[in-house]
Amino acid sequence: MGGMITQKSLIAWIVAWIAFAVFMLLLPQYVESGTLRLIISANFVAIFAMSWDFLSGKTGYISFGHPFLIGIGAYATAILNYRFHVPIGYSIPLAVVFTLVGGIVYFLPALRIKGTYFALVTLAFMELMYQFTQVIRPDLTGGTRGISGVQTMLVGARPNYYFTFLLMFGIAIVLWLLSRTRAGTALDAIAMNEEAVSGSGLSTTKLKLFAFLVSATVAGIGGAFYVHYQGSIAPRAIFEIDFVFKIIVSALIGGASTIVGPMLGAFFMSFLFDYLRPFLPGTERFFLFGVAALLLYVYQPKGIYQIVADLISGLRAKFAGEAGNGKAA
Amino acid sequence: MTQILIQGFLLSGLYALMAIGFTLIFSVGRVLNLAYGSYLMLGGYAYFYVSQALHMPKLLGFASAIVMGGVAGVLMYKLLVKRLAGDQVAVEISTLILAVVIQAGVVLVFNDSTKILLPIVNGVWRVGSASITFNMLAAMVASWVILAGLFVFVKRTHLGRAIQAVSMDPKGAVISGVDTDRINLITWAISGALGSTAGVFFAAYTQLNPSMWVAPLIIVVAVVIVGGIGSIVGSLIVAHIIGFMEIITTSLISAQMRGVFTMALIIGVLLLRPQGLFGRSDL
Amino acid sequence: MNPFMKLTAVAALALSTGLATSGLSHAADTVKVGFIGSFASDTGRSTLRGAEIAIEELNAAGGLNGKKIVLVKADTHEDVTEGIKAYEYLAETEKVDFVISGCIDDVSLGWLPRMVEYKIPTLDTWTSNIGIIDKLVSDFDTYKMYFMNVATDEALAALYVDFGKDILAKKMGWKKTVIVQEDTAFGNAINGLVTQLLAPEAGIKVLDTIVYDTATVDFSPIFSRAVDSGADFIYLVASVNSQVVSSQYVKLQVPLAMTGVNVSALGREYWEDTGGAGGGISTLSPIPSVGFAIDDESAAFVKKYQAKYSDRPKYPHFNGFNAYFGLKQAFSAAEKAGGFGLDKWVPAMENEDLVLKKDGKLWLRYAFWKPGEKEPRTGRTYPHNIKFDISPPYDSGAPSMVVVQWYEDGKAKVVYPPKYANGEFAVPSWVKKK
Repeated sequence: MGGMITQKSLIAWIVAWIAFAVFMLLLPQYVESGTLRLIISANFVAIFAMSWDFLSGKTGYISFGHPFLIGIGAYATAILNYRFHVPIGYSIPLAVVFTLVGGIVYFLPALRIKGTYFALVTLAFMELMYQFTQVIRPDLTGGTRGISGVQTMLVGARPNYYFTFLLMFGIAIVLWLLSRTRAGTALDAIAMNEEAVSGSGLSTTKLKLFAFLVSATVAGIGGAFYVHYQGSIAPRAIFEIDFVFKIIVSALIGGASTIVGPMLGAFFMSFLFDYLRPFLPGTERFFLFGVAALLLYVYQPKGIYQIVADLISGLRAKFAGEAGNGKAA
Repeated sequence: MTQILIQGFLLSGLYALMAIGFTLIFSVGRVLNLAYGSYLMLGGYAYFYVSQALHMPKLLGFASAIVMGGVAGVLMYKLLVKRLAGDQVAVEISTLILAVVIQAGVVLVFNDSTKILLPIVNGVWRVGSASITFNMLAAMVASWVILAGLFVFVKRTHLGRAIQAVSMDPKGAVISGVDTDRINLITWAISGALGSTAGVFFAAYTQLNPSMWVAPLIIVVAVVIVGGIGSIVGSLIVAHIIGFMEIITTSLISAQMRGVFTMALIIGVLLLRPQGLFGRSDL
Repeated sequence: MNPFMKLTAVAALALSTGLATSGLSHAADTVKVGFIGSFASDTGRSTLRGAEIAIEELNAAGGLNGKKIVLVKADTHEDVTEGIKAYEYLAETEKVDFVISGCIDDVSLGWLPRMVEYKIPTLDTWTSNIGIIDKLVSDFDTYKMYFMNVATDEALAALYVDFGKDILAKKMGWKKTVIVQEDTAFGNAINGLVTQLLAPEAGIKVLDTIVYDTATVDFSPIFSRAVDSGADFIYLVASVNSQVVSSQYVKLQVPLAMTGVNVSALGREYWEDTGGAGGGISTLSPIPSVGFAIDDESAAFVKKYQAKYSDRPKYPHFNGFNAYFGLKQAFSAAEKAGGFGLDKWVPAMENEDLVLKKDGKLWLRYAFWKPGEKEPRTGRTYPHNIKFDISPPYDSGAPSMVVVQWYEDGKAKVVYPPKYANGEFAVPSWVKKK
């Protein structure tokens, strides 16, 4: 969302963020703890989706193996904390550092290839991690069964709700601010035309590295807190296509390369899925959910964000009698 | 040693058969069809349902698999690819979603227990300490025949040359009067039918399971990426490289590392020679 | 687009679901049981149906102290993350009093921390991972609400050594084996136990171990290596995609006998699923397995099961029986303890003891090892695991497992231990006897 930002729309944004935060913080008074659990899950997916979006949505380097980064964060803290008894206060930051290193590794292919080929390399990275966690040092990683009984940070739906919401919100704000910096807007430009950006004298390599590292940091933070919420970790739970699917579809259905889009998408997908649970407890639910996601995506690949934006500008045009002035921000 | 040679050729034959349909689409449309594995699955399940559940003749089972694949390909093209044409990422993502949807659909219709197909051709041939099923031999023969047929089709027939033209230069093809839409439709249908045929053999060798589309997809992607776009011969050669390396790793090194090699190969080739070993230099 | 609108949308979604699901907690005069497992798998369905029948019978007899028992279900889709969400759903939204699980090992390990957090009494009917029992050993108070009424994998291996001694070594005269195992924790665990015990106790030497990747497409090189090793038979450990190994074994007509653990061959659908290419395979199986002669009470359960359900699995898997008997025990304990409060219920459940007799002899027994109670043969404790008996003549508890043999005509029989055997161990017709 780069470009010219008027004073008015900036205030509108800030008001919206604050209102949102207040609303969400008051929510636990009005809803059941079961719903809070749902929102906690959605918060995590939102964090992962925002991490994905900052990289793939912004730069156009599609990551099909994002669980690679998330998994490094998760496994690092799980191993440090469970096997070596490093307190969470240290194991989580250390895990993020490990993920940053992973992010650099992840970045290296981007120096040479892009587009579909890059996507495939990232998928291969994830598959390799899947094999590695099972085969290499299973005494540390727990092998195929993983580790069950990892220390949980907070207990109970409400505390976790507040914490994960604040974490997600904090990350969202930071990413939002980052995307408004010069580096952030330059990243948006890379997705459209990388040659033009490098032609204008900016170092695309540095910019891409920036995106990768930011994405990796968020993925590492998310992954580390995630494992201390779930209480367990297993290769099957993290390095699988379903997880990739969840993250990417959330980001895209919400609206890629916006910060709010992935959040919206994560919430929407989580609710759609779990909303159906009492009515369709079994396999039909997965099928219908997938079909709904597919239809939604094919109808508007730019996501709900765009659907609503089009709706609003359409309404504006109707009532104001003038051509809609597009997105307000 | 003879065992490794024989087993290598057999597995490579199966892999080549699986990769043919994918090569076609990737070369022609530059589209990464992540639902390609679903063709294999649909073909396998169609064959199972017709020949094993309904006890109809095997040929009918094959025919229904081929039709299933062709129809799936056409639908994918019309409903996804055409709608999202121009946005390559969107097409890829939508095929991923579709693959997951098809998996859920299969679970719904068939339940998630694993099923074993009876061999298409019965009988075993023993060479030393190795057993070779006629089923695998049939798969290998089928793949060579289909590959040869495809080669002739692409180089000699009018339609085939049109497909080649679209694959090499879509704009130029349009200018020379080729109906690219029709060509794409046909190519997707052929790709689907080939995928389903391969699926029957693959399922007959391994098993039928709603999540069976993932592993072949990775193998097929490896073959095509490493082989290079636009090169049918390249796919064939790389299918043999991968097939032989899997057999050698399993027999002589360690059976656990089988999958690691393929991943490392993909990464290595993509980093060092992105156009593949035999592909053209443009990406 | 107005940013306010966007953020409102997110908040609105949150609220609407909350309001939608808020009416689901239960009335004070019912007791809720939650089933967690995969609805689409034979395993999950067996437990679910066993639970449903048990609850029907309990309600017909007046429920729990007059309160009606209601069953709610949550699907795990055999996915670890979904499993955790399913458990949360049962605990927070449905507020169940008891959980009965038909989950596989991975999924159970996933929701275990949640069980600890919510402190809901849970009975696991299929998962047999020794790691969970180990947690009960090292930290009993934290995990005491968990019960597992299928024998753990360790008990399985001990019985296998006896089978090796009596049948493989003595009867078949085999002295050397090659282990073919999947590269999973299960594979490693069984391999370790077999290698350490089989040689000294049964006099069978392990010549080689071949570890294969679970996604292997082509087992012919692995079987070639096995044949080349010069062993008398293959010991297979396969729980994931085990049909691929066994069906390729049959299709390739590998000229070497094979036995071991093959999880796919545990249900009657094995024959139908393999299209008949399943003969010659033998495997360890929890009880009651295919081919297992059952006592009258179990037979009555089967009759009800088959009258009620027409789709697969047509015959309950062993965990269906575990669910049926186990759930009844859980409620019997609850009645004595005045509810599911852990302080009283756990000791009451530990005291539950159901002996099923056949022809006047002890045939099956559903009881639990108490904390601190040592099992004589292995010398360790198995708190809250089903009280298995791994020393012949197996008359104080049910055997942990039996060995089931599938024949090439589609029949399956139990071939070991002798007390339960109704068939002979056989080598496939294409393997030449040495």
